[in-house]
Amino acid sequence: MTCKFRADLLLFFCGVLALALASFARPGHAQEAGTLQQLLQQDAALISKASRRTIGPVIDRIVASDLPAVPMFLSAWQDKTIWQRRADGLFFVGADMGDRTYRLTDIDSGAVIATVPKDDLKQLKPNSGVRGLIATALVRFQLSDPDPSLREEALTAIERRPEAGLLAPLRASIDTEPDAELKARKMRIERLLTIGHGRDPAERVAAIKDMSGDLGVDLRAALNPLVATRLQISTDLPEGVNLARVLSPGGPDLGRLEAYDMLAEAELAPARQTPDQIKTVLSNHVEGGTVGGVALVRLSTPDARAIAYDTLAQEGKVAPLVRDEEIDAALAAHVFFETYAEPNPEVTAAALAALQGIATRVGLNQTLDLGLDAISLASIYFLAAIGLAITFGLMGVINMAHGEFIMMGAYTGYLVQQVIPNHTVSILLAIPLAFAVTFAAGVAMERLVIRHLYNRPLETLLATFGISIALQQLAKNIFGTQARPLTAPGWLDGALVLNDVVAISYIRIAIFVLALIFLGFFLFLMKRTRLGLETRTVTQNPRMAAAMGINPGRVNMLTFGLGSGIAGIAGVAIGLYAKVTSELGADYIVQSFMTVVVGGVGNIWGALLGATMIGTLQKGIEWLNPSNTLAAQTYMIIFIIIFIQFRPRGIIALKGRAAGD
Amino acid sequence: MRRSFVAQNPSVLVFLLGLAAFTLGVSLLAEGFGIGLISTSFIKTLGKTLCLCLVAIAMDLIWGYCGILSLGHFAFFGLGGYMIGMWLMYARTEIIVEASLAQGVIPPTPQEVIDGIGSQIFGVVGASDFPVIWMFADSLTLQLALVPLVPAILALVFGWLAFRSRVTGVYLSILTQAMTLALALYLFQNDSGLRGNNGLSGLQNLPGVTAPQSAISLWFFWASALALGLGYLLSAWVVSGKFGSVIRGIRDNEARVRFLGYPVESFKLMLFTLTAMIAAIAGALYYPQAGIINPAEIAPIASIYLAVWVAIGGRGRLYGAVLGAGFVSLVSTWFTGGQAPDINLGFYTLQWVDWWQVILGLSFVLVTLFAPKGIGGLFDLLNRGDKA
Repeated sequence: MTCKFRADLLLFFCGVLALALASFARPGHAQEAGTLQQLLQQDAALISKASRRTIGPVIDRIVASDLPAVPMFLSAWQDKTIWQRRADGLFFVGADMGDRTYRLTDIDSGAVIATVPKDDLKQLKPNSGVRGLIATALVRFQLSDPDPSLREEALTAIERRPEAGLLAPLRASIDTEPDAELKARKMRIERLLTIGHGRDPAERVAAIKDMSGDLGVDLRAALNPLVATRLQISTDLPEGVNLARVLSPGGPDLGRLEAYDMLAEAELAPARQTPDQIKTVLSNHVEGGTVGGVALVRLSTPDARAIAYDTLAQEGKVAPLVRDEEIDAALAAHVFFETYAEPNPEVTAAALAALQGIATRVGLNQTLDLGLDAISLASIYFLAAIGLAITFGLMGVINMAHGEFIMMGAYTGYLVQQVIPNHTVSILLAIPLAFAVTFAAGVAMERLVIRHLYNRPLETLLATFGISIALQQLAKNIFGTQARPLTAPGWLDGALVLNDVVAISYIRIAIFVLALIFLGFFLFLMKRTRLGLETRTVTQNPRMAAAMGINPGRVNMLTFGLGSGIAGIAGVAIGLYAKVTSELGADYIVQSFMTVVVGGVGNIWGALLGATMIGTLQKGIEWLNPSNTLAAQTYMIIFIIIFIQFRPRGIIALKGRAAGD
Repeated sequence: MRRSFVAQNPSVLVFLLGLAAFTLGVSLLAEGFGIGLISTSFIKTLGKTLCLCLVAIAMDLIWGYCGILSLGHFAFFGLGGYMIGMWLMYARTEIIVEASLAQGVIPPTPQEVIDGIGSQIFGVVGASDFPVIWMFADSLTLQLALVPLVPAILALVFGWLAFRSRVTGVYLSILTQAMTLALALYLFQNDSGLRGNNGLSGLQNLPGVTAPQSAISLWFFWASALALGLGYLLSAWVVSGKFGSVIRGIRDNEARVRFLGYPVESFKLMLFTLTAMIAAIAGALYYPQAGIINPAEIAPIASIYLAVWVAIGGRGRLYGAVLGAGFVSLVSTWFTGGQAPDINLGFYTLQWVDWWQVILGLSFVLVTLFAPKGIGGLFDLLNRGDKA
């Protein structure tokens, strides 16, 4: 009890002393404070009503004091657990003891002082801006904190707010860093900080050179401010600036009038009158049906307006018109040039060289990324088209409802997910189920409709189109018009990230693998199984096949069902990637037919090549005109129309008897 | 013995008389003419239906008579609509802009008027300058000339490419479908110069005409009827002569016609271009009655419906195409317009808006399977009955 009282008393005296000191020492802050409390008392008012604009120097002084209690105080301040005692203005760490009382702990010694009611205290509540500054100040202490997660947090804070003052503590902490991963990250951030805030140009240039092989976005973020330019105007080219380039008005980079308007804005030349301004001025000076002696009705040409305006100017009513000669003279009298924000030319040169190197490498990586995109798009087209390669390519049946079979597959997947919540199981189950559903639909359609229309391809097209309309509307009636989700299993989330430029999502990889599996399955089925043999026989010559004891009707039915079933599986895959709507199939049908036609009818490799070509082409055109995927599709279709001119039978054209007609 | 053209084709006379009687009857009952049994909106529907009949005739020429199943004729139809729509929109906006600029003290310069029109029309797609394709938009004569010309050029280029490389059958169908898809996708872009997916709107107002819509709708109805009559006459004349025989020959056995020495590609190209022009004129009459045109109108599905109409009506006979288009599109309007009463099955209320498409699709399958001659086939049955 006495002890506590004494401590209190002592502190009180200290506080009084500190206050007294503060009142004397404030102007220069030259006074060395013995304890953190004393230091804080010097700026007590600023601290208790901290604002982002004024707190910076205070925090700097606190950090500069190097007192052992600083990190604890800063983090407590950030966590809003610092309380100020109303009686004497001293700061304490307060812990909530319930019953509206708080236990106060001394900032410097950590000793418990007293438990006091809340009414005697005032909490320091730094706003988020101030907390950000505190966090930055804390970083230097956290960099060597035993807790790795705190060290990581500190590094993240540096990345977010790279400041010159952090460079030294960061460097100091590298050697003692036990964690290899964190150490590497520290070294990387040290290099990046050095680029922006290194002591001398040589050091910074060296840092730029060190990092120039890197593709990270953070490096580009560090380099770009160095080469940012600012357009300036002056009568003569000044000496000693880091000049980026001199612009000539009227050239490709700076329009003549634009340059003059900049002069006018800088008040180096009188402002130019735009046609709109002239019109406004004229309408303000109408006198009895005329302006400057010109009748109103005649003012419908720019020339007449200029004459009227000139008259007004001669009468001294308005500022004179700026003429072309005056514009030219004003432009000739001034130099337009861009300077770098970074004053040192060596650093900007190194940064430019590094950025150029990076641009080349980024370009290469983007090409790689584009290639991967193209492959994944090609896989989707291939998946959508492989069923058609069977029904249309092999059997010659044009099935406009193929897209609707894809849609049925996707909706089957959706329904299965409604019943089975586990995504992995439901997808694995959805694939055979989608196959079964669309196989049945295909067989039914073949038996009921297509069987009667063999050798009448246009009629087949129309009849299957009728089925397509009916199925689409049916899906709309059952599932509504809004998109239904078909969610991929968790292990397909995310992307395979190679570097900051190249990344490919796992779903796309899965679709690619699925496409490969289908290719293998198709080849196996056609070349190694009885059904494949019979299918090829019936395709080539149904009568001969029948004579050999093959039932062409049955084979056609099974083959058509197979093609439809594969469409259903493709639907599940496409549904994972796109939204499931009743128009899902219609979106792919034209591209699917294109794929088969371009590739060459009757050949699976043709479909593969066709899909690759169309996918690559579409991505390539999108790359040329990235804002506009619609245009890409347009140009792709035009390209295909022209392509068919040169290879009417597709990339892989069947020759000889197999070609038939 | 040479007989007159009409005498050779009595059905043409019957059709023209029927069309005239229909037009007269509708006009007399129309709201714009006083009696008012038929509302203005229904007059517009009838007028639009006549335009659809005209484009169906074009489709029948190319498909029913020449065997080319084009799934892209609505591209020409839409282009025709766009061409006339450009003038309608320009001229109407010009009047509005001039009126608003005339309020100012100082009369506007021509450039100010054009800038005003530009920002009015292209404001929705964030532009204000006129693209090159609007070069002639201020001239009705030139724009009217472009109505058949632009689709004809497209048809000529596309047809030349396609026929030259002997693309036939379903391949050609898919290719025409790709063409119309490409055009629709292109027009969907905002920077295509035709206002992207907003399309051209306000086309029902004739610039400078103060007559009420009830009168304007009748004018367009008459113009559509006249165009349909002339189109029918032209088509009947085309298919009745030697040209028609060659074309039917191509449909039935292309190789044989080629061996006989006829330039098959040129015949096909000529017919393809001619039908594109007919479709364009039909479109130019259709869209002022519809009031708005946007790229969705050109989507592949529209052209396929065209094939559906012709197939249901009965291809290979011109009146079949007209009957099919008229019947199916009017019935479609009735069912999808919500006028048809719902059927309550107790456990489920059958709404025609939802189920009409399903029925249309299935009936289409049935027609293809069991009645390849379509509605027109009924007339054959009647004729046979007469003779028997």
